[in-house]
Amino acid sequence: MDKLKSVVIGCGAIAREHLTALGELKSVEVAAVCDLSAARAEAAAERFGVAKWYSSHEELLAEIRPDLVHIATPPSSHFEIARNCLAAGLNVLCEKPITVDYSQFSLLKQLAIKNNCMLMENQQMRFHSSVQYIQNLITSGKFGDLLEVQVCVSLNIVAADSPYIDRNAPHFALALRGGVVGDFLPHIAYLAYMFTGSVMDLRTIWIKHTGDSPLPADEFRALIKGERATAYVNFSGNAQPDAFLFRAAGTKMRAEANLFEPPRLTLRRVRPGEPALMSLLDGIGEARDVLRGTLAGFWRKLGSKSSYDGLLEFFARTYRALELHEPQPIPLEEVDEIAHLVDRLTSSDHKL
Amino acid sequence: MKVLVSGAAGFLGSYTVSRLLGRGHVVRALIRPESRAPIWPDEVEIFRADLRVHDRLVAAFDGMDAAIHLAAATSGNEDIQFASTVIGTERFLEAMSQSSVKRLVHVSSLVVYDWARAKNIMDEQTPLLNNIYEMGPYTIAKVWQERTVSRFAKEHSWNLTVMRPGFIWGPRHAEIAGMGRHYGRVYLMFGPFTRLPLSHVVNCADCLVSAVESEAAINEIFNVVDGDDIRVWRYAREYARRSSQGGLLVPLPYGFGLGIAQLASFASRALFGKKGRLPSLLVPRRFEAQFKPVRFSNRKARQVLNWQPLASFNECLDLSFS
Repeated sequence: MDKLKSVVIGCGAIAREHLTALGELKSVEVAAVCDLSAARAEAAAERFGVAKWYSSHEELLAEIRPDLVHIATPPSSHFEIARNCLAAGLNVLCEKPITVDYSQFSLLKQLAIKNNCMLMENQQMRFHSSVQYIQNLITSGKFGDLLEVQVCVSLNIVAADSPYIDRNAPHFALALRGGVVGDFLPHIAYLAYMFTGSVMDLRTIWIKHTGDSPLPADEFRALIKGERATAYVNFSGNAQPDAFLFRAAGTKMRAEANLFEPPRLTLRRVRPGEPALMSLLDGIGEARDVLRGTLAGFWRKLGSKSSYDGLLEFFARTYRALELHEPQPIPLEEVDEIAHLVDRLTSSDHKL
Repeated sequence: MKVLVSGAAGFLGSYTVSRLLGRGHVVRALIRPESRAPIWPDEVEIFRADLRVHDRLVAAFDGMDAAIHLAAATSGNEDIQFASTVIGTERFLEAMSQSSVKRLVHVSSLVVYDWARAKNIMDEQTPLLNNIYEMGPYTIAKVWQERTVSRFAKEHSWNLTVMRPGFIWGPRHAEIAGMGRHYGRVYLMFGPFTRLPLSHVVNCADCLVSAVESEAAINEIFNVVDGDDIRVWRYAREYARRSSQGGLLVPLPYGFGLGIAQLASFASRALFGKKGRLPSLLVPRRFEAQFKPVRFSNRKARQVLNWQPLASFNECLDLSFS
């Protein structure tokens, strides 16, 4: 059977994650890579054994007809490249944020529907093993009623050597609404949306904590009221150490995972019995979970497994859908709702 | 001669500008917009641009006779170094191709050689690395940078000279990878009697200027080392003493360190296949590229450029730690 054909446009850091994951999929062949820098395109091709490389995506699309185009360029170029692909009837999987504003996404959506193409944003954290595990607990009823999720990201974007504050070569994310925080908002938004459902109301706070930086804001908080639960989400460019904490609270259980360090996950259940004894048993159980997860995480690192834990599963589901002519794994309407949520999060004006 | 120097505010760049001035050349120093310019005489023209993003780089070449390309990142992850070192170079050379400048001296590094295949002596005939992606970010970027330079030079028939310095050291930059590693106050030296390919910044800058001045250097490659008389033990001892850092020097045989790396590499391959990831000291090829005991020759630079180091090792120590 012929392999499905993919191409990757953009050969920076995130493209390497795409190419590594694609290398794991036996049913997929990367037919070409593309980058405005010929050296970077050729280096990516050489490194991942890709037969062809281009420095113009138009030339690539003129010569190759892939089953799926991975767009891994800076966000400001997503719209034009995705539009060209969709206009040519090609399926698109685009890095986040899929477009720099919601109106651009709406145009792409119309084009995707018109040409019957797949159009997805990379929302790989949905398929992260810890997120999936918690979601299964909720679906099975073990969590009780889900009340709240928290998505808390800390990244030291204001460190002296951070590329995000390099004034010599301004980072591409500075062109986004919300600046660098805006670059991470899609992850925060879709993880919240997965558990809250459609958003009914939200409140945001944007803060610039570190004054001497080109960032419009480096701290962000939001409260989201969804149809099924609420979410508290935040991004801190100053809190250390780096973490991507996902917490869920239900009527019967709490769960917490650092998505940067899979598969570490701690659970705490309501258990009948003497409170002091249960507290001791819970503590021992939590310590066991932490130790097991930490050792497994270290083992993963030795084996060079990416911290982009859900990417491979996301790609596998996407290519399976293409192979079997099934709907895209993340429905277009959900991609739309999340793009709209990101738009609302960056449009609200509660600045302190 | 009117010479454009990229990376001019960097460690080697600032010394190269000074040496060019000392030899009577006119200098245009290309430095990043936010970099603090070294203290140069007023006649040095400063052109502020970041090679990664500046869209009018061609103006930097106006009226110049030659360029010395030094700009490169020495820290950061693979993507940061590739963007600064390789993509910056692509854009620099693209601008040069639109100018009338045909003379280019490119500063590469000894890291582009395959140290595992260096037999007894490392010179310009030593084979280059082929499988570069198991090496570190700096090596990957420097290999691609030199490839890019060579291709542009060939395509545009430029008069190219490639210079490959060893460990460049000097004031505030005396800690070099070849010394080994220090963990707190303990210095681990892998092969205390290994010879170091030292290139003091004063000598290195002088060699670059000799190359840009020399017709005989065109289309040639030179390794830039002061010599190979200084061994790890002596350098580490001088460093520890003169930098007032003190500490315990622990010599370990080179073969012992390499053996540990080979063992770790074998275990990693057995457990994880090709995907296994280890710290650089435990990757045999990366270990070799820092500590392999070979000799280093500067014979070609001496013969073709008629160059010899300006300062002896003892003079360099005084210059570096005074």
